[in-house]
Amino acid sequence: MADAGAAEARGAFGAGLEDDLARAALALARRFAGGATLWCAAPTWPEHARHVAVEFVHPVIMGTRALPAVSVVDPDLVPALRSTVRPGDLLLAVSTADDPTVQSAMRRAGAWGVTTVWVGAGPRPQPGAADHVLWIDGASAAPAHDGSIVRLYHLLWELTHVCFEHPGLLTIEQDGPLCDAVPGCITCSDEGRVAEVLEASADMAEVRTAGGSETVDTLAVGEVRAGDLLLVHAGTAIAVLERTGAGA
Amino acid sequence: MPEGTDFLYPFIEGDERDAGSLLLDLARSAAGKHELSLALRTAVMASAGETLAAAAEAMAEAFAADGRLFSFGNGGSATDAASLAALFARPPSGKALPACCLADDPAVLTALANDVGFDLVFSRQLIAHATAGDIAVGISTSGGSRNVLGAFAEARRRGLVTVGLAGYDGGEMAMSADVEHCLVVPSDSVHRVQEVQASLAFALWEAVQARLGHDRG
Repeated sequence: MADAGAAEARGAFGAGLEDDLARAALALARRFAGGATLWCAAPTWPEHARHVAVEFVHPVIMGTRALPAVSVVDPDLVPALRSTVRPGDLLLAVSTADDPTVQSAMRRAGAWGVTTVWVGAGPRPQPGAADHVLWIDGASAAPAHDGSIVRLYHLLWELTHVCFEHPGLLTIEQDGPLCDAVPGCITCSDEGRVAEVLEASADMAEVRTAGGSETVDTLAVGEVRAGDLLLVHAGTAIAVLERTGAGA
Repeated sequence: MPEGTDFLYPFIEGDERDAGSLLLDLARSAAGKHELSLALRTAVMASAGETLAAAAEAMAEAFAADGRLFSFGNGGSATDAASLAALFARPPSGKALPACCLADDPAVLTALANDVGFDLVFSRQLIAHATAGDIAVGISTSGGSRNVLGAFAEARRRGLVTVGLAGYDGGEMAMSADVEHCLVVPSDSVHRVQEVQASLAFALWEAVQARLGHDRG
């Protein structure tokens, strides 16, 4: 009955969830210190997105600082985020791993220069799907409703504020790479980077990347359209990660 | 230029560079708070058992007679009220039941707040929507939110089943004759209160489903 969700949460805490929370909190604090806004999305449970945002904007503990957080409950999540997020911002999503809208937003966050936190329960997202994954394992649908997920983002908020007591650790230079999943090239030392097409012509495309906009050669991947998500390397698109319309 | 006693505290303020010990502290703190939350939950589930069963019985009877559920609260409690309504109306299993949250619509909330005052934002909606045999579920961590208490008074006047979720010592909500079934989470941490209130809401939903003959799973 009601104890199933709690038992799973306890197991996940023993299995390293507390360490995941600690690292995510430090990443959040570092980004906030650098001027980030936290964008919160939960397509299936918009109330969770709103709860996270109100925690940060209007803290329950007197004396803790108000931080910029916004819930995005627009059903067209990707276009809503794309037009608003700035490099250095944060995206926190609460959903199951199979939510196609969140999957797409998480993939595209790399091209927007946005650090991602994915909070959820059930089967886990693919490794590397988000910078930080805070997950309650198990098959039960209860965690989204019985307070287990709420507890996770409450703890994330509490730990983030502890980090502000350590200003020496909040400089952005100490932050790790945005994503470990894309290694650098051993020949030219350029990375494979995620890029979103802004405008495409015959063999070239203007793309948005974490570092700004640039022009890349698209001959190797064929025709692309605005909104397509590419992997670019040394000025060349080497793969199409997602076509427009697939979750976008 | 550094001077004074700073050299005695090498890890304080801007000079701290190694995040390792902070991460350890954070993880320990998270695990401790998690344990605390689960212990509180266990204690409340045990002590609130009878109230919970009585509330579920009254709610199940109301639903069986075509009653509808209206939930309300402020801030995080507004989102928890929305979660509760969504759980009843779009359940992961079992029978979908009519439920909506009175804190969901900014047009209605701002119109009422602007024209008649924030204390009346929920009670005025109950006047518009609710009839005898419906259900009012109000959430307030302090137990003292004026608009929640006001909505309970209106709900009783109109013959609704009233169920309240409060924290701390229950505040005015625990004393109010307008709240037939009051579930209190005795903690002075708003976060721990909300976490256990969500567990209570889930347990209420499970119990209502069971009484309506729709055991989940």
